[in-house]
Amino acid sequence: MARVELVNVSKRYGDVIIVPGADLEIKDNEFIVFVGPSGCGKSTILRMIAGLEPISGGEIHIGDRVVNNVSPKSRNVAMVFQNYALYPHMTVRDNMGFSLKMAKRSKSEIDEAVNRAAEVLELGQLLDRKPSELSGGQRQRVAMGRAIVRQPDVFLFDEPLSNLDAQLRTQMRRELKKLHMKLATTTIYVTHDQIEAMTLASRIVILKDGEIQQVGTPVEVFEKPANVFVAQFIGNPPMNILEGIFETSGGSPVVRAGGSVFPVPEGRVPDLAGGAPVLVGLRPDSIKMGENVERLPKEWWCRGEVVVSEILGGQSLLEIVVDDNELIAEVEGRIEAQPGETVPIGFEFDRMVLFDPETTKAIS
Amino acid sequence: MREVSRDRIKAFITLLPSVVLIGVFVYGFIGNTVWISMTDWRGGAALSENPVKNFIGMQNYVELFSGFLDGRFRQDLVNAVYYSVLLLVGAVGIGMFIAILLDRKPRGEDFLRTVFLYPMSLSFIVTGTIWRWLLAPQGGVNLLPTYLGGKALDFQWLSSMKTVLLFDWQNLFPILLYLAAFVLILLGLGKLRRDPSRAFKHYLVPGVVLGAVVWLFGDLLPRALFMEEEHGFNLATLGIILATIWQYSGYTMALYLAGFNGISQDLMDAARLDGASDFDYYMHVAIPMLKPITISAVIILSHISLKMFDLIFAMTGPDNAATGHPALDMYLTTFRANDFAKGAAIAIVLFLVAGTFIIPYLVTSYRQRRNAR
Ligand SMILES: Nc1ncnc2c1ncn2[C@@H]1O[C@H](COP(=O)(O)OP(=O)(O)OP(=O)(O)O)[C@@H](O)[C@H]1O
Ligand SMILES: [Mg+2]
Repeated sequence: MARVELVNVSKRYGDVIIVPGADLEIKDNEFIVFVGPSGCGKSTILRMIAGLEPISGGEIHIGDRVVNNVSPKSRNVAMVFQNYALYPHMTVRDNMGFSLKMAKRSKSEIDEAVNRAAEVLELGQLLDRKPSELSGGQRQRVAMGRAIVRQPDVFLFDEPLSNLDAQLRTQMRRELKKLHMKLATTTIYVTHDQIEAMTLASRIVILKDGEIQQVGTPVEVFEKPANVFVAQFIGNPPMNILEGIFETSGGSPVVRAGGSVFPVPEGRVPDLAGGAPVLVGLRPDSIKMGENVERLPKEWWCRGEVVVSEILGGQSLLEIVVDDNELIAEVEGRIEAQPGETVPIGFEFDRMVLFDPETTKAIS
Repeated sequence: MREVSRDRIKAFITLLPSVVLIGVFVYGFIGNTVWISMTDWRGGAALSENPVKNFIGMQNYVELFSGFLDGRFRQDLVNAVYYSVLLLVGAVGIGMFIAILLDRKPRGEDFLRTVFLYPMSLSFIVTGTIWRWLLAPQGGVNLLPTYLGGKALDFQWLSSMKTVLLFDWQNLFPILLYLAAFVLILLGLGKLRRDPSRAFKHYLVPGVVLGAVVWLFGDLLPRALFMEEEHGFNLATLGIILATIWQYSGYTMALYLAGFNGISQDLMDAARLDGASDFDYYMHVAIPMLKPITISAVIILSHISLKMFDLIFAMTGPDNAATGHPALDMYLTTFRANDFAKGAAIAIVLFLVAGTFIIPYLVTSYRQRRNAR
């Protein structure tokens, strides 16, 4: 139960700057997910919050305290590691009770706390086993059990599910969500998995080279990416980005890209002079085909030539060319179009995002 | 199917020479020694070209353990026990301690590691010569306090005649049984937390009962000797133990340091977040995790202490009774006294004692490996 705040927190290893200066405010009970490419400093920030890594500058607040000089154990944070980091020589019970034992709690108190956590995580039968006698999913559960036994102020997760197979990962993801609803503890969660980020997060933090690119709810970062990097990092397949020119001539504002003229809907019109270069971002799922086209306003219709089409169960993934612009489209239903065929398509232009080509930042 | 059997034949042919050689030169000779230890091959027969060896059963062994003339062997056996225990405690303790210090990654760790490991590379003869000089009554270690302004020690590291912890060999059986009871109770207490009912049934109750029975009816046990014969811990062996610890602490340090380095950073971090101090980390996480290393160290050191020969030879010579060892006794009995049969019996006793250490170790490690598969 605590808020966490990073104020200009930085990290250097010698001359190498890993985190130039991160500002972030995490509210009580929030579930914050860090995403970003490998090596961008997610684990480093997490470890700095835990106190396992000294910070090179700035301040970290947990609750009402500045914890810069507080030892890891006194920060009252619990961490779950990617490889679980269970003590191999201890039983599940001893693993889970270790922190309380270190805190010199009485044996009955430890037993009670361990049993309660075991019940929540359905570990009752496994309490007397050693970690080597458990499956990956069970080890993961024990690692979480060890974290919740202490009733910490903050949970830190560093890619906790990445060693599990796809099915188990989905299941554990749901359980994590339930657990968070039940315990309502501030959580910071690092992952590479977009679905985990989208489904678990109350807010997502996107990092690149140690710098925070955007902080927002899953819908916000998906629909209103702050810059081209976020637009392409979040969402799979990534957002289509086209180079174009903004024009206001002829009354209604448009963007010319390649041979196309995309109308800019009201509410998305940038504060730019005519003739300014822009980047146009169009989500693959904002492109419609088949009968869905007709639900869109007529001026958002056009035609495109199919280059490749792949059917993924209930969805289809297509590469299409619209007036020389290559676009990836992710559309509902099975579109059985032949390569070379010209088909009617429609754009949800109200979801269009415009970026400044110089700074790559979104233009509001 | 044919491929497999051909592989087997190849494997068999490849292994055959070493199987034959080991069969003859290791197991064959062990068998021959057992045989000799049950004969009367000594005295005149030891010198003859075609000796007559008569089978006399276990008589040599009986004499060693309860014969009038073999007190020296019995004291040597007691010495060997003390050597082993003190070497284990000293080398494992000091090695572990240095390993923990180096695991804190002090400056110059690599250099220090080499320094501590260096004694290992010396031969026992060199170590013995160095330490004989260091432990001379009027030099070396005894002069250390004078550097601090104190008075020089006058302890006779290698020739002290003092003996402590005396016991009467007559009472060997009750003492061994008490020891067994003590070990059972100790094991029981260790297992009490994990599985109380088993601890009581298999360890504590039998231990206490055994102890009580020996205490009440110990007098009914047969005496191991017809006369009183006192043995104990000869203080003169301290110097030799010191030299051995010096030589082998670096080795246990290397074992533990490798083990500590193998513990993942995440596990250390997890322990720190769980509130473990550095002391707690080593006490509750790192050292218990390295139990296999501790077991290996104990096995290796105990068989080294049972094979101790050259170091004692170099430090006090083979004839100094106070610092004797069964291995030296075996040498003296066989080649000085020309009592080949009794020498062989001593060898077999040492072999069996070493076996009691090593066989359980081999069995458990074999089982672990099979389970790991
Ligand atoms: N001890 C160190 N010395 C120097 N550089 C380091 C050290 N530890 C980490 N780094 C660097 O810090 C950067 C961030 O590492 P970090 O582990 O935080 O990345 P990450 O975002 O967690 O990556 P991943 O997704 O692969 O886990 C990396 O470029 C790494 O090389
Ligand atoms: Mg990482």
